[in-house]
Amino acid sequence: MKTNKPFPDKANYVIIGGGISGVSVAWHLAKKGAKDIVVLESEYLSYGATGRCGAGIRQQWSTKANVLLAKKSIEFFENAQDLLDYDDDIEFKQEGYLIVGTDEEEDRAFKENVKLQQSLGVPAEFLTPKEAKEIVPHLNLDGVTSATYCKTDGHLNPFKMTDAFYKAAKKLGVSFFTHTKVNDITVKNGKIESVQTTKGTIEADVVINAAGGFAQDIGEMAGVEIPVKSQNREILVTEPIEKIQGPMVISFSRNIYCQQTPHGAFIMGRGDDRDFSQSMHSTHQFLEAMAKTATRLLPPIGQLRVIRQWAGLYNFSPDSQPIISGSQDVEGFYMACGFSGHGFMLAPMTGQIISEMVLGEPSSVDTESLSLARFEKGAAKTMEQNVV
Amino acid sequence: MRIKAHPILSFEAQKAVPFTYDGQTLYGLKGDTIASALHANGIKKLSESIHRKRPRGFYCAIGNCASCNMVVDGQPNVRTCITPLKEHMDIRSQQGKGQVK
Repeated sequence: MKTNKPFPDKANYVIIGGGISGVSVAWHLAKKGAKDIVVLESEYLSYGATGRCGAGIRQQWSTKANVLLAKKSIEFFENAQDLLDYDDDIEFKQEGYLIVGTDEEEDRAFKENVKLQQSLGVPAEFLTPKEAKEIVPHLNLDGVTSATYCKTDGHLNPFKMTDAFYKAAKKLGVSFFTHTKVNDITVKNGKIESVQTTKGTIEADVVINAAGGFAQDIGEMAGVEIPVKSQNREILVTEPIEKIQGPMVISFSRNIYCQQTPHGAFIMGRGDDRDFSQSMHSTHQFLEAMAKTATRLLPPIGQLRVIRQWAGLYNFSPDSQPIISGSQDVEGFYMACGFSGHGFMLAPMTGQIISEMVLGEPSSVDTESLSLARFEKGAAKTMEQNVV
Repeated sequence: MRIKAHPILSFEAQKAVPFTYDGQTLYGLKGDTIASALHANGIKKLSESIHRKRPRGFYCAIGNCASCNMVVDGQPNVRTCITPLKEHMDIRSQQGKGQVK
């Protein structure tokens, strides 16, 4: 990630965060002809939640905003290889997401979800346990009462996707500075003035906060209170085997997501009730709980060895829907955060929406339900339910 | 290949342990790992690289590297360098990443 450019003292647009959201915003801005864009990353590209995520891409959400963002993002991913003229393979595999339900309450919610998803043009379907087993033959149906399935959901390699955006943005003139930490942001007369970093100060009118699990800290520097909280989430990967599972299998009640990557390894994770923190440590308790959950639902996985485990941060918003928004208090301050565990799969739309806002173009989606202001108006109305 | 004489250590004669390698009957010694028994029989190729199918042999010897993974009694991805040899084990070369049912 070497750059020959000296550290700039001025820029038009400063993007904080070199994860999928940051690189997508950078590319979308540059593609629309914006000049003088700088991306700052405190570690290396995809160091944070992007490089630690479960690599799933799904449209089966419970809120209209999330379904639409995911659907439009998948349309981008389907063409990303060409759009970004990427010379490597982004490993986009559309073999579906199978969501497994285990009680009547979930069955009812699933039917509602599928109705919403279908109304928005997403090919999701409600399945009986028997139909679910036809899609994933090694699924243990003990306790399973229903399922939903969407065949166009799938898997995408987070490192390759970030790299694809990075390379394409760089070709369009975007400057990237890794290992560059933002220490402070200066706001004068309600406007962004400059960004102080470990490599120097950049004057800029526009700052885009795409700092993932650290977005609230960046907000604080600019004097903008963002009501997001970070939570440690753990994940593991097994040794590779020949393909046995096409779709990602997830269950909200069992607390699991589990997929076999194109490489053959299984990646799986779960969440538990933890205090909010920015810790990215792994625990042995996760390993045990994960193994029990996974081998109950997908027994053949019990034969595999775990190669590695790690952790990352979910950045939760109060309604578990993203905040893709400007600020009413600080002119020039934009944010893409609070993705609540699914920022990777929504990144194309994040880039598109932020670039439209920043450049003053009409928005291609209704941004009301994504705005920071929705929380000030007395709690957002709809809560995203489908989060593992 | 076995060390038979050593200036400090002594090796007592051990009982022969029969096993099959890709269907062929061979003998190791009591106390062998699967990989050491194969090595003693001159078999140095234990697996193949996944993409280019190039030969892979005895490497880390501590169960970390997957270079010695073989199918043992029907079980794929067995780390033969740390798995003790047992009588009449059915040891086979593994094609690809291993089939799990």
